[in-house]
Amino acid sequence: MKYYIVVVCMMCVLGWDTLWAAQDHIGSIKTLSGTVVILREGRDVQPALGTRLFTRDTIKTGPDGSAGIILQDDTVVSLGHDSELSLKEFRFDPMTKDFSLISRMVSGTFVFVSGLIGKLSPASVRIETPDGIVAIRGTKFVAHIQE
Amino acid sequence: MALQKTCFVLLILAGLICGCSSAKTVIILLPDESGKVGEVQISNKHGVRTIKSAYASVSVRGDKKPQQPVTVPEQEVREAFAAALVAEPLPPARYMLFFVWDSTELTKKSRAELPAIFSEIQKRTSTDISVSGHTDRCGVGDFNIGLSRRRAARVRDLLVAEGVAAESISVSSHGEDNPLVITADDVPEPRNRRVEVIIR
Repeated sequence: MKYYIVVVCMMCVLGWDTLWAAQDHIGSIKTLSGTVVILREGRDVQPALGTRLFTRDTIKTGPDGSAGIILQDDTVVSLGHDSELSLKEFRFDPMTKDFSLISRMVSGTFVFVSGLIGKLSPASVRIETPDGIVAIRGTKFVAHIQE
Repeated sequence: MALQKTCFVLLILAGLICGCSSAKTVIILLPDESGKVGEVQISNKHGVRTIKSAYASVSVRGDKKPQQPVTVPEQEVREAFAAALVAEPLPPARYMLFFVWDSTELTKKSRAELPAIFSEIQKRTSTDISVSGHTDRCGVGDFNIGLSRRRAARVRDLLVAEGVAAESISVSSHGEDNPLVITADDVPEPRNRRVEVIIR
């Protein structure tokens, strides 16, 4: 019991925030217009400005919709009309140098600006499209994917 | 009018994809905020292409090697990607706050920066603020982890006292392991005694 308390205290002092941050959200919605929905674990979530994003979320915009997100490593992605983006994997832990950013541009138009993972570990960034894999080196690009 | 515009955009996209009308994905490299141009590589099981210059464009479909890159006019990109470009969020704002040696007391200059940080948070109605604490390499690593944590917590408390919601702030501590300026061990370096605040 004593040990348990000591361990919990140490976690509080040393690593709770880091620990929590690792399991917390991976980014959030920063701009929104028109019809936008987040598909999360089989459910539709109606986003608002500031809505937090988690691994395996898919963001979908309608014919009048658009959205912009920022991930925790400062990667910025925006979606134009009729676009779909899946956030497949995201790990950003500079302390242990554990980095991964895998997302899938399913369809539509996108602007992608790479963040710290792209700077610290470019090989850990992979953007999938139906036609090929995009790899980056500290950069900004746009993509159009026809369904 | 809206329909006309849509047709126009579709035409431009068709033009960008052109060269091979059956291509499905188009990737175009853009200069970033600072005007810097990076590098993008697109690959599938049939081959690889790399683009390195501004407005270089590669078209690709899954059953063929990505096509030879071409350069497209900036104006066409602006129009074809207008909706996504308009939706682009402001890049995160970063601030660096510095501390008096071995303490959680901000330097005078950094204290004077606090109002700008509060107003940036308000301007963006940000709910996503990172506060990360760092130390220089004086003293032992474990002590510095604690010190960087107290520094970050101090900044968080200052923000909360100004009305920022505590749940909007994520705090982390890096000790001496993530210096701004690389030094040997036990070297005092004021620029490494810092808390970085990122407002997204």
